[in-house]
This record gives sequence, structure tokens and C-alpha cells, in this order.
Amino acid sequence: MTAFLRMGGYAQYLWPAYGIAFTVVILNVIWARRMLARARAEARRRVAVHGEFALRGEQA
Amino acid sequence: MTWTWFHRLGSPPHVYRLAERLTPWFAWPAGLLIVGALYGGLVLAPPDYQQGDGFRIMYAHVPCAWMSLMVYVTMATASAVGLIWRMKVAYAVAASCAPIGASFTAATLMTGMLWGRPMWGTYWEWDPLLTSELLLLFLYLGYLGLRSSFDDMQRADRASAVLAVVGVVNVPIIHFSVYWWNSLHQAPSVMKLGAPTIALPMLIPLLMMFLGFTLYFIAILLVRLRGEVLRRERSASWIREVVTP
Repeated sequence: MTAFLRMGGYAQYLWPAYGIAFTVVILNVIWARRMLARARAEARRRVAVHGEFALRGEQA
Repeated sequence: MTWTWFHRLGSPPHVYRLAERLTPWFAWPAGLLIVGALYGGLVLAPPDYQQGDGFRIMYAHVPCAWMSLMVYVTMATASAVGLIWRMKVAYAVAASCAPIGASFTAATLMTGMLWGRPMWGTYWEWDPLLTSELLLLFLYLGYLGLRSSFDDMQRADRASAVLAVVGVVNVPIIHFSVYWWNSLHQAPSVMKLGAPTIALPMLIPLLMMFLGFTLYFIAILLVRLRGEVLRRERSASWIREVVTP
């Protein structure tokens, strides 16, 4: 296990590289979900404020 | 051949519901492939005869580099479709791509620096490939900055699309720079014409990473796309249906 973690002496470069790559992978999941949640909340607010009638009016 | 599928892709409610349905079908295989590729790359693949275990940085760096280019090509293509056919959904795709691409380009540069230090003896060199990848990051940031400078979504869409389309000339420069100029960076061993010059136990995890990251990109894109479609539809009554629980 220690041999695996030492990565033939490249540990100090290898593990930070994996850390960066997979932090970005996870962050993109979080950012995308948060972005969608915000857009949905914003859309819900618009619907609540304007109501069906006003929505149709805007469309015309 | 009918074009109804293409026209349906122009319909925001259809796209919203389709994206919602499709997301898990990309997300789960992506997760499984990436975990499998990590095991293959970090444990099963034998050490490289020149770089020892250091070559394993490849399984973190190369998928990020793949993302940085694939996302840009997607963004530029969607922008072109938006400009040509005035398709709102295409602009929404392009806008969804930018933050994904920017973050993976930054990751490409950072993981590349961590690979360059032990192999080349330097974190950074103003080498054609490294410089053009840095330019790619600036293109993404420029795209995002340009969008945020407009209050009007339609104008933001059109202006940023022009930038994305023009910037696509940088993509072949990145890809071929290791052939065109003397570069510190090694030449591609997979993404080239002819057979890959890499041993099979090293290649398989890399191919799994390529496929896994591609599916992952589509899944993230579909989630963001729903948000972007909602933001562009100010007045449609279908929004009420999808946002009210």
C-alpha cells in the first residue's frame, strides 16, 4: 500500500494532479446542479408573480 | 429522410424534457467507466519504461485535455448553428459549455505542469502547445466575460457565438502544434492516424477515460442546458408545468 502511495517517487506530482482533475470533475457536478436549481427557482418566481394571464400577454 | 427530429430539437419544452430523461443514462455509465479506468490506470497498467509510475499522471491529464478541446468544438458548433438557424436551444447549448470547458482547461494546464516538472524539469515553458492551451483558457474566459457584459440575453448569445466560432481556429493549432514546431510535449500516441503507439494495458484505461469523460460531459451539459433553456423562456406557459411540483 505504501509502495502504491509512493508511486515510484512521483507521489508529490501525481496525487496533486489527480486531486485537481477530480476536484474539477466533482465541482462541475455541483455547479451544474446549483445552476439548474437557481434557474428553476427564478422561473417559479416569475410564474408566481405574473400568473398564467400575464404570461400569455407577454407572449402575444 | 425527415427533419422532424431536428425541428423538435428547436423546441424548448421538448429539449427540456428530453434532457431530463436522458441525464441518468449518461451519468451512471460515465461514473462506472471513470472509476474502472482509475483502477486500470493506477493499479493494473504496468509502469512506463522511461517515465516509471510518473506516466500515470496521463490518466488525470489527458482526459482533462480531451475535455478542453471537445467542449470547445461543441461550443463553437452550437454557436454556428445558433447564428445560422437562429436557434435558441443551440445558443443555450453553447452557453452551457463555457464554464465546463474553462474549468477543464485550467485543470489541463495545472495537471500538465505537475507532469512537466519531473519529466522536463520545468513547470512551464512558452512552448507552442502550452501557449495555445493557455490561449484556449483565455478564449473560454473571454466568452464568459463577453456574455456577462450584456444584459440582453439575445445580444449576449449572438456576440459570444461570434467569438466562439472565430476562436475555433485555435483547436487544430493545439492538436497539431507538437508536429508543426519543436515541442517539449510528447506527440499524441492515441489521437492520430494509424495504430496507437501505446501498450494495450496502458491504452485500455485511457480509452475508458475518453469514453467516460465524454459521457460525463454530455450529462453535465444536459443539466446545464435545462437551466439555460429556462432562463431563455421568459413567457412560455410550459414553464409552469415543469417548475411547479
